[in-house]
Amino acid sequence: MHHAHIDKFAYQDSPIHRLDPRAKLAVTLFGTLAIASLPRFSPDLAFYTWLGPFALLVLGRIPLRFAAKHIAWTLPFVLVLALTSLWYDKTPTTILFGPLLWQSTLGWLKCLTLTAKFIGSMLALIALISTTRFSDLLMVLQRWHVPEILVIQLGFLYRYIFVLIDKAHHTVRARTTRTLKRLAPKQELRIGTAMIGSVLIQSLDTSTRITQAMQARGFVGQWHSPKQFDMKRGDWLFLGLATLYIGMLMYLSHLVGSVNSVRPT
Amino acid sequence: MHMANELLSVPVAAGTFAIASLGLGLVCRKVKEAATTDQLGLMGILGAFVFSAQMINLPLPGLPGTSGHLIGAVLLAILLGPHAGALIVSSIVIVQCLLFQDGGLLALGCNMINMALVPAYLGYALYRLILHQATDTWRFNLAVMTAALITVLVSAILVPIQTAVSGVLTLPFRTFVWTMVSVHLVIGLMEGLITIAVLAYVKQIKPDILSLNQKSTCDNRSRLLVATLAIFTLLLCAVFSLYASDKPDGLEWSYAERPEQPEFQSVVLPHEQADTVETLQSKYTLLPAYTKRPTPIGHINAQDVALSRGWTSFAGVMGALTTMIVIWGVAWCLRKKRATA
Amino acid sequence: MNAIDIRDFSFHYPDGTPALNHVSLSIAHGEKVMLIGPNGAGKSSLLLAMSGFAQGTGSVQVDGLKVTKRNLKAIRRVLGCCLENPDDQLFMPSLYEDIAFGPLNMGLPETEITERVTQALATVGLADKANKPPHHLSAGQKRAAAIATVLSMNPKIITLDEPDGSLDPRHRIQLQKLLKSLTQTLILATCNMNFAYAIADRVVLVDQGQIVADDTPQAIMTHKLLLEEHGLELPTL
Repeated sequence: MHHAHIDKFAYQDSPIHRLDPRAKLAVTLFGTLAIASLPRFSPDLAFYTWLGPFALLVLGRIPLRFAAKHIAWTLPFVLVLALTSLWYDKTPTTILFGPLLWQSTLGWLKCLTLTAKFIGSMLALIALISTTRFSDLLMVLQRWHVPEILVIQLGFLYRYIFVLIDKAHHTVRARTTRTLKRLAPKQELRIGTAMIGSVLIQSLDTSTRITQAMQARGFVGQWHSPKQFDMKRGDWLFLGLATLYIGMLMYLSHLVGSVNSVRPT
Repeated sequence: MHMANELLSVPVAAGTFAIASLGLGLVCRKVKEAATTDQLGLMGILGAFVFSAQMINLPLPGLPGTSGHLIGAVLLAILLGPHAGALIVSSIVIVQCLLFQDGGLLALGCNMINMALVPAYLGYALYRLILHQATDTWRFNLAVMTAALITVLVSAILVPIQTAVSGVLTLPFRTFVWTMVSVHLVIGLMEGLITIAVLAYVKQIKPDILSLNQKSTCDNRSRLLVATLAIFTLLLCAVFSLYASDKPDGLEWSYAERPEQPEFQSVVLPHEQADTVETLQSKYTLLPAYTKRPTPIGHINAQDVALSRGWTSFAGVMGALTTMIVIWGVAWCLRKKRATA
Repeated sequence: MNAIDIRDFSFHYPDGTPALNHVSLSIAHGEKVMLIGPNGAGKSSLLLAMSGFAQGTGSVQVDGLKVTKRNLKAIRRVLGCCLENPDDQLFMPSLYEDIAFGPLNMGLPETEITERVTQALATVGLADKANKPPHHLSAGQKRAAAIATVLSMNPKIITLDEPDGSLDPRHRIQLQKLLKSLTQTLILATCNMNFAYAIADRVVLVDQGQIVADDTPQAIMTHKLLLEEHGLELPTL
């Protein structure tokens, strides 16, 4: 079955794809931390965080529509939480933005900042995942001393998610083609759990065969890993630029000052 | 139930990440000890199974038009034991975060604790405690249902706690807890029902399904149970105390100023420093004086400064936007050139 | 010394159903043998017995080594098996890792592993797909990749269970060409008469857990009555 694979872009080629996965992962982690530590009432700073990931997406030839769709998918949940700020923080304030003057509340600032931060960290994550092969990410984790058994588990999970999603789809489709009307809840539940149960049994059978395949190729319990990475000149340049960028964000954030529980009296 | 980055403060994110990493490290060691070579593939596949099972929607009884789905942590803990269960669900949480952007990168620690570590161990402990050595179906169903319901509720309550400790959101603790608990009550019931039904179905076809766990059972069962239940009780007390405290944000009350108690020494920054921060803020933030605190002598007119700052941010944002458009434009031109070449 | 020596081998499924019933078969090195027969005949079980996954009564020898727990490691270096479903065979997150899995387990050095993987990929025509994950490959490519995972171990004998299953004509022909070009001893189970006829030196007809006929392709494939009696059809030549 042909998937609109979330990871299809990771297997393309571009200057960003060729960057060392360790550098990309480290930059994404620190970048996300930086975004989180930005002050709460500065949507402009939060907006600046979009620039870096945006550049990576464009240079990585990742369609922006794809990123936008992904963000739109998860935005509603965060939006609900961000909007609560409007209700619960009605401290009056004046917002000046260039020629615009807006008598508003702190809640609005908080809401905007939160939303902008969310989009920024999402863009960073999407930039990482759509330009880095998952198997390479796993190798980075292994290099960074993540327990081997977790890395193996992640590898198998990644590999078989799509296989089992297919199985689940087929099962659901088979059910749908035989559905003429909505049945009583108890019956629906029974059918639904039977579908889940049948996929579970198929999974157990598949796992037996996978074990056979592993043993047939000499596996006796000791896991080995191939391939290593080298940092090239381009990777160091990327790291340098990213550090500069994140550094600037942190400096601006420091200038503005962190706003924790300052309350109007 | 996947938390986004924005609910957490950096210290809480870092702290929970550390706790989760430690927990996961221990889990990995336990699994490595107990797992046989056969089980590597099994764990991977069952993880993928739970992932795909979450996509099969089931109608919620009594609530027309809505549907729920299996979460699977308790199912895995029952099938393969708490260690393997915790490992598998942790891997699912990680993949959901990375590949499907479900849950933020910084919230991984919290999400792993809430959805993997706690449900697997607590669920298993409750299941074993209630089932004990009984073999009848009624007891089994009760054990599964209790385990599922309570773990779902506990996971749900952890989210407001972690959010409250972070102090990022202005949502009051009580409201948050109530919303989470009421929604997850139904989800917990569903989880219990589906888990029971799935296990019953599979037992018909593969009667030995529950003995998969034999090899990977935690060795010192009673110690684990006691530890799990102790943590659970502590958690319950924490929730209760946070909830029952007078002020909605009890944490802040403990360290901020208390005008009604003039002798109380607040642990917040002394006034001069606080004022400097505020001066800086009024200089550099978008907004002019939002605090009505009396300003110190020699203070610059906040309004004037804010006006100039207002243009600074405007220029900054426009600059960033322009840069993005330029990057995109250049890339577009290059792509056109390459296509026609 | 034969590649495969099976003497009086019987094997039951876990639920008691007999799979193989006093089967004897010898295959010399270099032969390309097709196991044909209807579904449930025991073809897969025979292949499992050769790979050491079926414990039964009687004796199975692979390249002179008796199939026992102690000899399994050595046997797996000599005999590579391709399962029916390539999704079961390809279990790593990238093709490179899948093909390198066998050589890594053999304890070979890094440079030799890279060489073997490159060679295996080239042989099956997937040289540019090394970094792809298996779920990005088409059915035909997965089949070829599954064979590559076995080739990288440089086995003397390769068993394949219905390798032509769900392949379109183009990919089936590609697979035919590939298998014909291999120098290893091949033992293939299939229901597809044309496929078998194109590759085989020798055809073994299996039905109800027993070997019914064992002859040249010409002898068996033209015997209409025999084929129909065992639920098969004449190849369209």
